[in-house]
Amino acid sequence: MDYDLNEEQELLKKAAKGFLSKECKPLFVREMEEDPQGITPELWQKMAELGWMGLIFPEEYGGIGGSYLDLMVLLVEMGYSCLPGPFFSTVILGGMTLMEAGNEEKKQELLAGIAEGKIFVTLALTEATAGYSPERIAVKAEKDADNFVINGTKLFVPDAHLANYIICVARTKEGGNKEDGITLFLVDAKSQGVVITPLKTFAGDKLNEVVFNNVKVPERNILGELDKGWSIMKKVIQKAAIAKCAEMVGGGQRALELTIEQVTEREQFGVKVGSFQAIQHHCANILTYLETSRLMTHQAAWRISEGLPCEKEIAMTKAWVTDSCRSLLALAHQAVGGTGFMEEHDLQLYFRRTKAAGVYFGDADFHREALADVMGL
Amino acid sequence: MDFEFTKEEKALQEEVRKFIKKESTPEMLKETEEMGDIYGAPEGRKIIQKMAAKGWLTPTWPKEYGGLGLSDVASYMIREEMGYHGLPFGFIAAHMAGPTILRFGSDDMKKKWLPRIASGELEFALGYTEPQAGSDLSALNLRAEDKGDYFLLNGNKLFNTSCHIADCHWLACRTDFTVAKHKGVSMMIVDLNSPGITISPMVTMAGWQTNEVVYEDVHVPKDRLVGEKNKGFYYLMAALDFERMFPLGRYRRVFDEVVEYTKETILDGKPLSKDPLIRQKLAQLSTEIEVTRLLYYQLAHILDKGGIPNYQSSMEKTFATECAQRIVNVGMDILGLYGQLKEDSKWSQLKGKVEKFYRTSIVETIYAGTSEIQRNIIAQRGLGLPR
Repeated sequence: MDYDLNEEQELLKKAAKGFLSKECKPLFVREMEEDPQGITPELWQKMAELGWMGLIFPEEYGGIGGSYLDLMVLLVEMGYSCLPGPFFSTVILGGMTLMEAGNEEKKQELLAGIAEGKIFVTLALTEATAGYSPERIAVKAEKDADNFVINGTKLFVPDAHLANYIICVARTKEGGNKEDGITLFLVDAKSQGVVITPLKTFAGDKLNEVVFNNVKVPERNILGELDKGWSIMKKVIQKAAIAKCAEMVGGGQRALELTIEQVTEREQFGVKVGSFQAIQHHCANILTYLETSRLMTHQAAWRISEGLPCEKEIAMTKAWVTDSCRSLLALAHQAVGGTGFMEEHDLQLYFRRTKAAGVYFGDADFHREALADVMGL
Repeated sequence: MDFEFTKEEKALQEEVRKFIKKESTPEMLKETEEMGDIYGAPEGRKIIQKMAAKGWLTPTWPKEYGGLGLSDVASYMIREEMGYHGLPFGFIAAHMAGPTILRFGSDDMKKKWLPRIASGELEFALGYTEPQAGSDLSALNLRAEDKGDYFLLNGNKLFNTSCHIADCHWLACRTDFTVAKHKGVSMMIVDLNSPGITISPMVTMAGWQTNEVVYEDVHVPKDRLVGEKNKGFYYLMAALDFERMFPLGRYRRVFDEVVEYTKETILDGKPLSKDPLIRQKLAQLSTEIEVTRLLYYQLAHILDKGGIPNYQSSMEKTFATECAQRIVNVGMDILGLYGQLKEDSKWSQLKGKVEKFYRTSIVETIYAGTSEIQRNIIAQRGLGLPR
């Protein structure tokens, strides 16, 4: 057993921490929440130059060939700094779906562009019924000569406003088994009939409604096989869930630091607030939530990297981290007190983001139910 | 990063499981439950001495003292298996006194005691707690007067659990009343058959026994002193870091049996396991068990790297013992009215195991430092908050 990051991962962590502490300060995070784009081209390009966008793509597609575990190291730091922008949507949702399902031509064409920071891709998965089970996919794609025609509304699509391509998860066949008959379409975001409307969100990230009105997609733009898209989606959802866990762990780390700063500086009744046992017990619980979330996330990411069976660990991890980091933030607010409730204090940034990450790609109940299935209950 | 056992560790795990399956007897299982998982009673001694002969009681110790020189991960794994399969797994001599002697004992002391501990021949009872010295161990007052070639002991100990079945007392006593409390404590090994020792049982709500021990003019030879005189508090604190590991095996077994029960029990035409609330609760516990596993083996990993687990021990002990309580609480909820029935009732389910462990589980968050003390340690040592 070995619980430690390797040397390269430690270096990556240090470099990412250093870069983000300069380039992604809390004021910038606040500005980007208000900014319609949600990112500056300058920062995006600098991140691309560091190789972050291509970290997990194979070298032949312009990437660095890193592991999923390497990516997780980066995501923890992104969560720590509340990094805004489309890294998650483009690299994880878009990039990983292309890696899993794209043919050689599509990979050549798009992955290098993503790695260079020139192409944005996102995933249109959830709908008005808001959920991650195949039953919830109702947007239709029907065959029409050489094309498929997509009709329907996707909701909560991240960064669609920036996207060059939207991967649309659509139903191509009705029938008994809901997993069967789902197909992934690579849609040019400029296609006629695509209407993108931003949604105002409480965590300040850029989610959109994407309406498909008779949008024509050529058959060659199917990713993977016709009707067989769900098995790909399942993998992407699982990896995205762990990626969200990594972000929450990073945010939890920062929330802990903010808490410790406050309770070691502030005095009440003539002593440091942090010397009260009630506060110490809150802090001990925060550290326990954080470290257990980190351990679970590391284990799941490691299993993904090693290609080991990981369905059980992923379900456990997303359930655990979602609840733990939510509790962690609530305790942090309790310890910090009224100051943390103020807009100027950074704690509230993490409080909002953690809840948003918690519901993304399956909340705790969803993953516990998935786990119950794995347990044969 | 690697979260799995090595091939060798997996093979060892298989071997240990096979051995336990072959050697376990109903008498041993019953005795272990009645004793509250501690070592020293006759049936336990039979099977543990066989295990010890393979080096499995003290696998990390050097070969010359009866160990195998294995990793701490292997050692933790064996202990977890023992708990899961109903063997005694609370060892004072092998897991607390022995490691302290290994670190701080003289060569003579090592030669005299370690092989007998490693073979399972000798078990110790922990002699820390006193009526006024629980969480604040430095307040202990059992007096040991230096009489030249022996110490003369007088005083009381409380909650000294293994005393009625162990051979020796791993005793913390006060050898100097004139200095700061933690500077006047010494550790010694006392034969529990010594004249002047009276052991009185205190029966717990879990059914097993702990003890009150009275020392009246007890003579202890000088060569029973561990390390240096008046340095005992330091040894005791070091040994506590070994104790604060909590293998969840026993409760994990109860959980597995409850899970099977929900699959097999049909209510209103479908198995209990199809009830959404029960599914959520069991999936949550299964997750917490996995969290505990990671915390548990993290301690072994720290030891294998040459470190000493610090606040991490407190974190594991607290998490695991609170998880244990949640496991049996959910178990009781699932069994509902049946959960109240004792083992020998006609209608009792799972041999009354859940209620038995429900009673036991309460003390897990109290002994070896309460959860409150553990959280103080996590905050002070792990986060640097002021004392």
